Amino acid sequence: MDTQKIDAFMMNNAKYFESYHLPQIRSRLELLEDGDWSRIYGLQFKDPMMMLIASLLGGSLGIDRFLIGDVGMGVGKLLTCGGFGIWTIIDWFLIMGATREKNVMVLHNALP
Amino acid sequence: MTNRPIRQLYLMITLALLAGYLWLIYSLYTDSGAGTVETGVCLFKELTTVPCPSCGSTRSVKSLVRGDVWNAFYWNPFGIIISLTMILLPFWLIFDLIAKKNTFYIFYIGLEKFLKNKWIAAAAIILVLANWIWNITKGL
Repeated sequence: MDTQKIDAFMMNNAKYFESYHLPQIRSRLELLEDGDWSRIYGLQFKDPMMMLIASLLGGSLGIDRFLIGDVGMGVGKLLTCGGFGIWTIIDWFLIMGATREKNVMVLHNALP
Repeated sequence: MTNRPIRQLYLMITLALLAGYLWLIYSLYTDSGAGTVETGVCLFKELTTVPCPSCGSTRSVKSLVRGDVWNAFYWNPFGIIISLTMILLPFWLIFDLIAKKNTFYIFYIGLEKFLKNKWIAAAAIILVLANWIWNITKGL
Protein backbone atom coordinates (compact mmCIF):
# COMPACT_ATOMS: atom_id res chain seq x y z
CA MET A 1 0.00 0.00 0.00
CA ASP A 2 1.46 3.37 -0.87
CA THR A 3 2.34 5.67 2.01
CA GLN A 4 0.51 8.68 0.63
CA LYS A 5 -2.87 7.00 0.86
CA ILE A 6 -2.15 5.78 4.38
CA ASP A 7 -1.00 9.24 5.44
CA ALA A 8 -4.15 10.80 4.04
CA PHE A 9 -6.34 8.22 5.81
CA MET A 10 -4.53 8.70 9.11
CA MET A 11 -4.76 12.47 8.87
CA ASN A 12 -8.47 12.45 8.10
CA ASN A 13 -9.44 9.81 10.64
CA ALA A 14 -7.04 10.23 13.57
CA LYS A 15 -9.73 11.97 15.64
CA TYR A 16 -11.91 8.84 15.54
CA PHE A 17 -9.34 6.67 17.37
CA GLU A 18 -7.36 6.70 20.59
CA SER A 19 -3.81 7.92 19.99
CA TYR A 20 -2.33 4.65 21.23
CA HIS A 21 -4.27 2.79 18.52
CA LEU A 22 -2.72 4.80 15.70
CA PRO A 23 0.63 2.96 15.28
CA GLN A 24 -1.15 -0.39 15.19
CA ILE A 25 -3.73 0.89 12.69
CA ARG A 26 -0.96 2.22 10.45
CA SER A 27 0.91 -1.07 10.46
CA ARG A 28 -2.28 -2.98 9.62
CA LEU A 29 -3.06 -0.56 6.78
CA GLU A 30 0.41 -1.09 5.34
CA LEU A 31 -0.42 -4.75 4.82
CA LEU A 32 -3.60 -3.89 2.94
CA GLU A 33 -4.08 -4.91 -0.71
CA ASP A 34 -5.23 -2.28 -3.22
CA GLY A 35 -8.57 -4.04 -3.67
CA ASP A 36 -9.49 -3.78 0.02
CA TRP A 37 -8.87 -0.06 0.14
CA SER A 38 -12.29 1.01 -1.15
CA ARG A 39 -13.95 -0.94 1.65
CA ILE A 40 -11.90 0.94 4.23
CA TYR A 41 -12.85 4.26 2.66
CA GLY A 42 -16.52 3.36 2.85
CA LEU A 43 -16.48 2.81 6.62
CA GLN A 44 -18.60 5.11 8.76
CA PHE A 45 -17.01 6.19 12.03
CA LYS A 46 -18.79 7.90 14.90
CA ASP A 47 -17.51 11.33 15.87
CA PRO A 48 -16.55 11.32 19.59
CA MET A 49 -17.47 15.00 19.90
CA MET A 50 -20.98 14.39 18.52
CA MET A 51 -21.39 11.50 20.96
CA LEU A 52 -20.36 13.78 23.83
CA ILE A 53 -23.09 16.22 22.78
CA ALA A 54 -25.57 13.34 22.57
CA SER A 55 -24.45 12.24 26.03
CA LEU A 56 -24.90 15.69 27.52
CA LEU A 57 -28.35 16.13 25.97
CA GLY A 58 -29.82 12.63 25.97
CA GLY A 59 -27.58 10.71 28.33
CA SER A 60 -30.28 10.07 30.91
CA LEU A 61 -32.33 8.31 28.21
CA GLY A 62 -29.30 6.25 27.13
CA ILE A 63 -29.27 7.84 23.66
CA ASP A 64 -25.47 8.13 23.66
CA ARG A 65 -25.07 4.38 24.27
CA PHE A 66 -27.66 3.51 21.62
CA LEU A 67 -25.85 5.67 19.05
CA ILE A 68 -22.48 3.97 19.47
CA GLY A 69 -24.14 0.54 19.22
CA ASP A 70 -24.08 -0.40 22.93
CA VAL A 71 -27.76 -1.31 22.81
CA GLY A 72 -27.72 -3.36 26.02
CA MET A 73 -26.16 -0.51 28.01
CA GLY A 74 -28.61 1.90 26.38
CA VAL A 75 -31.58 -0.14 27.54
CA GLY A 76 -30.04 -0.28 31.01
CA LYS A 77 -29.72 3.49 31.15
CA LEU A 78 -33.17 4.08 29.69
CA LEU A 79 -34.92 1.82 32.19
CA THR A 80 -33.19 3.29 35.24
CA CYS A 81 -33.48 7.07 34.56
CA GLY A 82 -29.85 7.03 33.39
CA GLY A 83 -28.68 4.83 36.26
CA PHE A 84 -30.16 7.20 38.90
CA GLY A 85 -28.35 10.05 37.14
CA ILE A 86 -24.99 8.72 38.34
CA TRP A 87 -24.30 6.61 35.26
CA THR A 88 -25.33 9.58 33.08
CA ILE A 89 -22.65 11.75 34.66
CA ILE A 90 -20.02 8.97 34.54
CA ASP A 91 -20.76 8.50 30.82
CA TRP A 92 -20.15 12.20 30.09
CA PHE A 93 -16.52 11.35 30.82
CA LEU A 94 -16.42 7.84 29.33
CA ILE A 95 -18.41 8.24 26.12
CA MET A 96 -15.66 9.74 23.94
CA GLY A 97 -13.28 6.90 24.80
CA ALA A 98 -16.04 4.33 24.31
CA THR A 99 -16.81 5.82 20.88
CA ARG A 100 -13.16 5.57 19.83
CA GLU A 101 -13.02 1.95 21.02
CA LYS A 102 -16.12 1.17 18.94
CA ASN A 103 -14.53 2.85 15.89
CA VAL A 104 -11.43 0.70 16.26
CA MET A 105 -13.64 -2.39 16.42
CA VAL A 106 -15.42 -1.30 13.21
CA LEU A 107 -12.06 -0.86 11.47
CA HIS A 108 -10.68 -4.16 12.78
CA ASN A 109 -13.75 -6.03 11.57
CA ALA A 110 -13.32 -4.53 8.09
CA LEU A 111 -9.59 -5.27 7.83
CA PRO A 112 -8.72 -8.70 6.50
CA MET B 1 -15.68 -15.75 32.22
CA THR B 2 -12.36 -15.31 30.56
CA ASN B 3 -11.72 -12.07 28.74
CA ARG B 4 -11.95 -8.44 29.75
CA PRO B 5 -15.24 -7.25 28.15
CA ILE B 6 -17.11 -10.19 29.70
CA ARG B 7 -15.69 -9.48 33.16
CA GLN B 8 -16.50 -5.80 32.78
CA LEU B 9 -20.11 -6.55 31.83
CA TYR B 10 -20.58 -8.89 34.80
CA LEU B 11 -19.00 -6.41 37.20
CA MET B 12 -21.15 -3.58 35.90
CA ILE B 13 -24.35 -5.59 36.21
CA THR B 14 -23.42 -6.68 39.73
CA LEU B 15 -22.89 -3.03 40.72
CA ALA B 16 -26.17 -2.00 39.07
CA LEU B 17 -28.06 -4.78 40.89
CA LEU B 18 -26.50 -3.78 44.22
CA ALA B 19 -27.44 -0.15 43.63
CA GLY B 20 -30.95 -1.20 42.62
CA TYR B 21 -31.52 -3.33 45.72
CA LEU B 22 -30.06 -0.70 48.04
CA TRP B 23 -32.32 1.91 46.47
CA LEU B 24 -35.35 -0.37 46.74
CA ILE B 25 -34.68 -1.14 50.41
CA TYR B 26 -34.08 2.54 51.15
CA SER B 27 -37.24 3.71 49.41
CA LEU B 28 -39.38 0.95 50.97
CA TYR B 29 -38.01 1.91 54.37
CA THR B 30 -38.67 5.63 53.98
CA ASP B 31 -42.07 5.22 52.29
CA SER B 32 -44.97 6.47 54.35
CA GLY B 33 -47.30 3.95 52.76
CA ALA B 34 -49.16 5.96 50.14
CA GLY B 35 -46.76 4.88 47.40
CA THR B 36 -46.60 8.37 45.96
CA VAL B 37 -43.60 9.80 47.80
CA GLU B 38 -41.42 11.92 45.55
CA THR B 39 -37.74 11.34 46.20
CA GLY B 40 -36.28 13.32 43.31
CA VAL B 41 -33.72 10.82 42.07
CA CYS B 42 -34.29 11.46 38.35
CA LEU B 43 -31.74 13.89 36.91
CA PHE B 44 -33.90 14.44 33.83
CA LYS B 45 -36.96 15.46 35.82
CA GLU B 46 -34.96 17.64 38.19
CA LEU B 47 -33.51 19.56 35.24
CA THR B 48 -36.53 19.78 32.95
CA THR B 49 -39.51 19.25 35.33
CA VAL B 50 -40.83 16.79 32.71
CA PRO B 51 -40.85 13.13 33.78
CA CYS B 52 -38.52 10.81 31.86
CA PRO B 53 -39.71 7.54 30.23
CA SER B 54 -38.75 5.52 33.30
CA CYS B 55 -40.07 7.87 35.97
CA GLY B 56 -42.41 5.98 38.28
CA SER B 57 -40.56 2.70 38.05
CA THR B 58 -39.53 2.84 41.71
CA ARG B 59 -43.21 3.24 42.66
CA SER B 60 -44.00 0.44 40.23
CA VAL B 61 -41.46 -1.96 41.77
CA LYS B 62 -42.67 -1.03 45.26
CA SER B 63 -46.26 -1.78 44.25
CA LEU B 64 -45.13 -5.15 42.92
CA VAL B 65 -43.32 -5.87 46.20
CA ARG B 66 -46.71 -5.32 47.91
CA GLY B 67 -48.34 -7.65 45.36
CA ASP B 68 -50.28 -4.88 43.62
CA VAL B 69 -49.74 -5.79 39.94
CA TRP B 70 -52.33 -3.33 38.63
CA ASN B 71 -50.69 -0.31 40.28
CA ALA B 72 -47.29 -1.60 39.24
CA PHE B 73 -48.48 -1.45 35.64
CA TYR B 74 -50.11 1.94 36.18
CA TRP B 75 -47.06 3.66 37.67
CA ASN B 76 -44.78 2.44 34.91
CA PRO B 77 -44.82 -0.83 32.90
CA PHE B 78 -40.99 -0.62 32.86
CA GLY B 79 -41.12 -1.42 36.57
CA ILE B 80 -42.32 -4.93 35.76
CA ILE B 81 -39.36 -5.47 33.39
CA ILE B 82 -37.01 -4.06 36.05
CA SER B 83 -38.50 -6.33 38.75
CA LEU B 84 -38.12 -9.44 36.61
CA THR B 85 -34.53 -8.46 35.76
CA MET B 86 -33.70 -7.83 39.42
CA ILE B 87 -35.15 -11.20 40.46
CA LEU B 88 -33.66 -13.26 37.64
CA LEU B 89 -30.17 -11.78 37.12
CA PRO B 90 -28.57 -12.53 40.51
CA PHE B 91 -29.35 -16.23 40.06
CA TRP B 92 -28.12 -16.16 36.46
CA LEU B 93 -24.83 -14.44 37.37
CA ILE B 94 -24.23 -16.80 40.31
CA PHE B 95 -24.92 -19.78 38.05
CA ASP B 96 -22.37 -18.51 35.50
CA LEU B 97 -19.86 -17.87 38.26
CA ILE B 98 -20.21 -21.35 39.75
CA ALA B 99 -20.44 -23.23 36.46
CA LYS B 100 -17.60 -21.11 34.96
CA LYS B 101 -19.72 -20.42 31.90
CA ASN B 102 -20.80 -17.23 30.17
CA THR B 103 -24.38 -18.07 29.25
CA PHE B 104 -25.54 -14.60 30.30
CA TYR B 105 -22.97 -12.88 28.09
CA ILE B 106 -24.08 -14.99 25.12
CA PHE B 107 -27.70 -14.01 25.85
CA TYR B 108 -26.72 -10.33 26.18
CA ILE B 109 -24.97 -10.30 22.79
CA GLY B 110 -27.95 -12.07 21.24
CA LEU B 111 -30.34 -9.55 22.80
CA GLU B 112 -28.28 -6.65 21.40
CA LYS B 113 -28.37 -8.21 17.94
CA PHE B 114 -32.15 -8.74 18.27
CA LEU B 115 -32.76 -5.12 19.30
CA LYS B 116 -30.61 -3.81 16.43
CA ASN B 117 -33.08 -5.26 13.92
CA LYS B 118 -34.69 -2.16 12.48
CA TRP B 119 -38.31 -3.35 12.86
CA ILE B 120 -37.78 -4.44 16.46
CA ALA B 121 -35.97 -1.18 17.18
CA ALA B 122 -38.76 0.88 15.61
CA ALA B 123 -41.42 -0.96 17.63
CA ALA B 124 -39.39 -0.52 20.83
CA ILE B 125 -38.92 3.21 20.19
CA ILE B 126 -42.67 3.66 19.59
CA LEU B 127 -43.46 1.80 22.84
CA VAL B 128 -40.96 3.89 24.81
CA LEU B 129 -42.32 7.13 23.34
CA ALA B 130 -45.92 6.06 24.05
CA ASN B 131 -44.94 5.24 27.63
CA TRP B 132 -43.21 8.59 27.92
CA ILE B 133 -46.33 10.44 26.73
CA TRP B 134 -48.39 8.42 29.21
CA ASN B 135 -45.93 9.37 31.98
CA ILE B 136 -46.31 13.05 31.13
CA THR B 137 -50.12 12.89 31.02
CA LYS B 138 -50.13 11.01 34.35
CA GLY B 139 -48.05 13.86 35.77
CA LEU B 140 -45.55 11.61 37.54
